[in-house]
Amino acid sequence: MVLQLHVWGPAFTLPSIEAQCLAAIAYCSVALPKGSWELVATSDPSVSPTGELPALQDGSTWVSRFRNIVDYLRQYSNGEWDLDRRLDETARADSIAFSSFVESRGQILIDLSLYVSSQNYYGNTSPAYGNLLQWPNQWILPPKLHGAAKTRTEHLGLSSLDLQAMEEQRQREHSAAVAAGRVPKNLIARPRDTVSKLLGRTAQHNHFRLEALTGEFFEPLEAMLGQKAYFLAAKEDDTPSSLDCIALGYLSLALVPELTFPWLRDAMRNKSPRLAAYTEHVRRRCFGQAPVEVAHAFSPESAPSSPLPWRTPSRISVAAVGSTLLDSLAESTPLLRRLRRYNGLKAGAQSPDADLSGLERNVVSQAADAGKNDLYASVAAVVGGVALLVGYMFHIGMISTVAAGQKEYEEEQEEEEDEEEGIVDAGTAADFLNMGGLGDLGIPGSS
Amino acid sequence: MPPQATEGPQTDGNTPSFFRIPPPIKQLFDRFPLTTYPANDLPERVPSGRADNQLFVFSDAASARRGRPSFNPQCLKWQAYLKFVGIDFEITPSNNHASPTGALPFLLPAFPTEAAVTIPSHKLQKWAIEQVHCEEEQQLNLRFDVYASLLDHRIRNAWLYMLYLDDANFKAVAQRLYVNPSTTSSLVRAALGFQLQQAARDELLKSSPYIDVAALEGDAGNAFEALSTLLAEDEHFFGRPNPGLFDAIVFSYTHLILDEGMGWKHNRLAQLLRQHKNLVQHRERLLRFF
Repeated sequence: MVLQLHVWGPAFTLPSIEAQCLAAIAYCSVALPKGSWELVATSDPSVSPTGELPALQDGSTWVSRFRNIVDYLRQYSNGEWDLDRRLDETARADSIAFSSFVESRGQILIDLSLYVSSQNYYGNTSPAYGNLLQWPNQWILPPKLHGAAKTRTEHLGLSSLDLQAMEEQRQREHSAAVAAGRVPKNLIARPRDTVSKLLGRTAQHNHFRLEALTGEFFEPLEAMLGQKAYFLAAKEDDTPSSLDCIALGYLSLALVPELTFPWLRDAMRNKSPRLAAYTEHVRRRCFGQAPVEVAHAFSPESAPSSPLPWRTPSRISVAAVGSTLLDSLAESTPLLRRLRRYNGLKAGAQSPDADLSGLERNVVSQAADAGKNDLYASVAAVVGGVALLVGYMFHIGMISTVAAGQKEYEEEQEEEEDEEEGIVDAGTAADFLNMGGLGDLGIPGSS
Repeated sequence: MPPQATEGPQTDGNTPSFFRIPPPIKQLFDRFPLTTYPANDLPERVPSGRADNQLFVFSDAASARRGRPSFNPQCLKWQAYLKFVGIDFEITPSNNHASPTGALPFLLPAFPTEAAVTIPSHKLQKWAIEQVHCEEEQQLNLRFDVYASLLDHRIRNAWLYMLYLDDANFKAVAQRLYVNPSTTSSLVRAALGFQLQQAARDELLKSSPYIDVAALEGDAGNAFEALSTLLAEDEHFFGRPNPGLFDAIVFSYTHLILDEGMGWKHNRLAQLLRQHKNLVQHRERLLRFF
């Protein structure tokens, strides 16, 4: 069975638009023999059961996340496909610590550079996603990723890179001035800021913060690399380790993309020239000499001979489109969302790969069932209550009067804004009180 | 904003009926002049003459009097650091609402007494360096920031899961320490507990689209392994003669994970941590400071 690595598709002349995917591709291309794996630019996280990419598919087994993939490959090959097998104890500790450092700090810088900086997002990242995603996903996924990147970087106080957030803040201030009643709303001239003016105002502040952030990230890496060819290389002829793959994932996304506002690349070239040279070198070793085009991923015949074994992703089917649309619709409908969550919980608990004991499995399933029953009961109670109310209205003849007095009612409608208030006159208030009592009694009976 | 200020009176002049305050309301407000009352006095229990620096942390009154470690890793980190560098301070039990920045810990220095200047946690190290002229350890070793990221991310995420999202632990530990002292109303307690769990869940979901417990625990296990290798046979991290900031960060997690008094129901992190004898001994050495 050929292993299939599902990733986000290529962008910016790199084989993937996402750092963890780049790391996984680099690892596979170095560790795995040719012909034992295929690279699929699925670009749809819903293919993997965990909803994450990169994901490695081995028959019916799915493994997601870089570290899990590395572990799985080691077990799969009985320790043969393991780039870290020659590391000694200190190097292993360094590998763990630097991986964590690169992932946590690097992700934030990539988020700021590709997503939060508005010019880069709208000018480069968003069009890149448009090229590699298929129809409904190109409208659904990029805003999600954009939002996630913004929440990850919120605590840094650099939202001024984000023109949209700036605009919202100004509108809040604007409406606060209106609410304070100092100036009537329609008399306030909307200040029209251009992009360059906005950036000019906050550029110095941002500059210092970004300077500090990039310095903290690149300096330890530059010092660690020293004159070596790879981070943990002890000798001249060493091969890359898993740390080099992780570092390549994040550093290449910092260095390679041609962006409108290339602050991250400039910082990297100025602060750590050796790191930039290293990234170029490892990139060529792992991803091949030629830049990767989006077309290579979708029609591998057209690609020049490259070390990446692209395989055309299966075209998206009508059923998949429908399920994606339904999924996003259901996720945004309150009741359905809860129902789906309970169903998912139960399915997860009863699936054979869940790491649960028999008792836990029963408890979780029962909790999911109970939650679902609660939900059904409350829906039934509401429906029953409404039915009872309507029935009672028929009983006392309120609704039939409406049907008879349709003409009058239509005339009234012009004056009355609220339809129901137009129908019910003050005399029926007592009836309503009675009805409320009946409705309450009806709820337990109907559920 | 000067342009708006000049616009205001002009518009009043143009459309008097709409913008002038109606006379009855004006009369009413003339009778109720806006007054600003002086600030309330401090409560009686506040000691009038502050002799010592006061560190505000999550703690309970009894532990605070004896200077026991706080049960919050962030607070314990700074409490331990100030102790290690030899600054005297008193512990005051507090909560997030008391802090000017919205986060504990913060410090109220003994000098200057008259100005109420508080020092938030991210400036505590700078303050301590000014006070006792200790070293800024980040500058001494390039591995400081790198290995600190293990604690700030991998171990912290596993900690968040173990404390807040494991239901048995949440009821036994977090509910008892964070929720119950703040109120006796069961309704408010339920709401607070839900908020805490939700906040922890959101924090974990920031870095990955779903919470994989096995991965969190595996990462924490790797992190302990790396820290154990870094410490090796030394007394303190980076071979320092005295414990410093890095020791304080490590201690803030290892102590709380191994502390019997926390009352953990499921403690997977302790199982992982006990595999590394030198980290356990490191925690026991540092516990003598308290």
